[in-house]
Amino acid sequence: MRQISAAYNKAVKELLREKAALFWTIAWPIIWVVIGSFSFTGSAPQEVIPYIKGSITISMMVFALMIAGMSNLPASIAGDRANGLLAKLMSMPIRPYRDFIGRISAVITLSLLAAALVIVIGIAVGARFTGAGIEIAQAIGFIFLVICASAGVGLMAGTLIKNLQGAIMTGVGIAVITSAISGLFAPYEVLPAPLQMFARIYPISSAQASIVNLLAGPDMVAYNPLTSSQIALTIALSFVLLIIGTVLYSRLGWKLE
Amino acid sequence: MFAVHVENLVKTYGNRCVLDGVNLSVLEGQFYALMGPNGSGKTTLASIIAAVRTPDSGIVEVYGSKPAQAKELIGYIPQENFSSPKLSGKENLMYFASLLGYSRIEANRLVTEMLKSVGLSEEADKRVAKYSGGMRKRLEVATATFPDIRVLILDEPTTELDPAARRTFFGMIQEIMNKKTTIILITHIGSDAELASKVGLVDNGRMIAEGTPDELKRKHAVEDVITVETAAKADNVVRVLSNFSKNGKVAESGAGYRIYSQNGGKILADVVRSLDQAGYKVMRIEMARPTLEDVFFRLTERSLQEEIG
Repeated sequence: MRQISAAYNKAVKELLREKAALFWTIAWPIIWVVIGSFSFTGSAPQEVIPYIKGSITISMMVFALMIAGMSNLPASIAGDRANGLLAKLMSMPIRPYRDFIGRISAVITLSLLAAALVIVIGIAVGARFTGAGIEIAQAIGFIFLVICASAGVGLMAGTLIKNLQGAIMTGVGIAVITSAISGLFAPYEVLPAPLQMFARIYPISSAQASIVNLLAGPDMVAYNPLTSSQIALTIALSFVLLIIGTVLYSRLGWKLE
Repeated sequence: MFAVHVENLVKTYGNRCVLDGVNLSVLEGQFYALMGPNGSGKTTLASIIAAVRTPDSGIVEVYGSKPAQAKELIGYIPQENFSSPKLSGKENLMYFASLLGYSRIEANRLVTEMLKSVGLSEEADKRVAKYSGGMRKRLEVATATFPDIRVLILDEPTTELDPAARRTFFGMIQEIMNKKTTIILITHIGSDAELASKVGLVDNGRMIAEGTPDELKRKHAVEDVITVETAAKADNVVRVLSNFSKNGKVAESGAGYRIYSQNGGKILADVVRSLDQAGYKVMRIEMARPTLEDVFFRLTERSLQEEIG
């Protein structure tokens, strides 16, 4: 337990003291919540605008979770490898899985902090949500899936890309590109058919659509992401990404050769 | 009693044999320096002893056990600065103390003592990003001085330190040695290796000589060493100097060159004259007794820094 808490405390402190991580994970999504809430509501009826703002807030919250998992996590892994800490840890009586749990827990903490701040700012600029009780619980479940999928991608990037900047940029690149082509930044209905297909398969955009459906209303999503098959696919792929990332990290992450 | 015992160790990366049948024994409490040029295999050897890498074949024992089973006894300091610049010195040490299973109270007590022993009490709460290179290296060595650690492995610890920081660093190492900790120093700097009680010279994955610094110099380096610095480095300077050096070999040495001669005192004036005639002003010339770097050059005909002639 002490090894897990040691890894967790170190990772949390480093993340909270890293200005770039804070900017991309917290400030950047908040900036877009503010800009989006005043610029992209267009000529929508007044009574719908709060829910459009709610939808934008949820998208940016999901983006914050993606950046935390896909960029901050690999940065932490690749950074420790590049500066020799990994070699130091390998020489110590430490179980790698404890280090892993500590790191993942730190990323979850930062993710939840970012999500909470984005939602607070969203509400402050007029976002409103519809769900209550069971919908909120379900939305939290989908948030958990976003964290799992993002952490899985982050573990893959941090394990396979040995260079610190390379790992960060790969994570950011995957987050930005997949967000752009899966309808996180643009309405699902304006995407070409192949990308609409991708948006349904990609677990993060599917989870985001589910959260929007639950908390901003079904009218805010151009398809129904809450069918049994769609939910099953989202859950399965989120865990597949996390499992692949975990297996890669445990097999290759703690190796220098 | 051997703290570290290595027998016929072999390690390859792909087709490249990095360690080729290395044998090494380090006594408990001994200060042992492994000296060799970059790429000679010494870092790989250190990392195998530290349980970071595994050998292809051979025996490696730390206090009679395989390194992976003796991790509690090993304090390994890699060449890179592994302490977190975003944490304070105290937070860094608390992290390692927690990893080793110490309770918060125990860790606090130990870390306070360790910071004091490495002279960083006043900077304990300062972020490591604000530390000098010497302070950071001392902090990192402190991570390998927890009570159970009996073998300290230092990989090129002084490479980036200025002379003052280097002196402070080795003062601290002396303190650690007083606690009977065995020290293995990996270095390519002869003056660092001179401080050890025993030195192993490594080249191309082989141990080419071993002994106390005095033994090695007596046995392998009998010539005088002449160090020459000219206003500029040039191939012509090397050509002129090669006429005066044993076997025509010239080694690079900092801002100048080093040559070896059995009658150094007699040729000094000739060296200056010849360089002057060739158009190269001699800025400094001095004759000295051989160092461990000279021993290495004598054995391999290559400099620890760069072979040029």
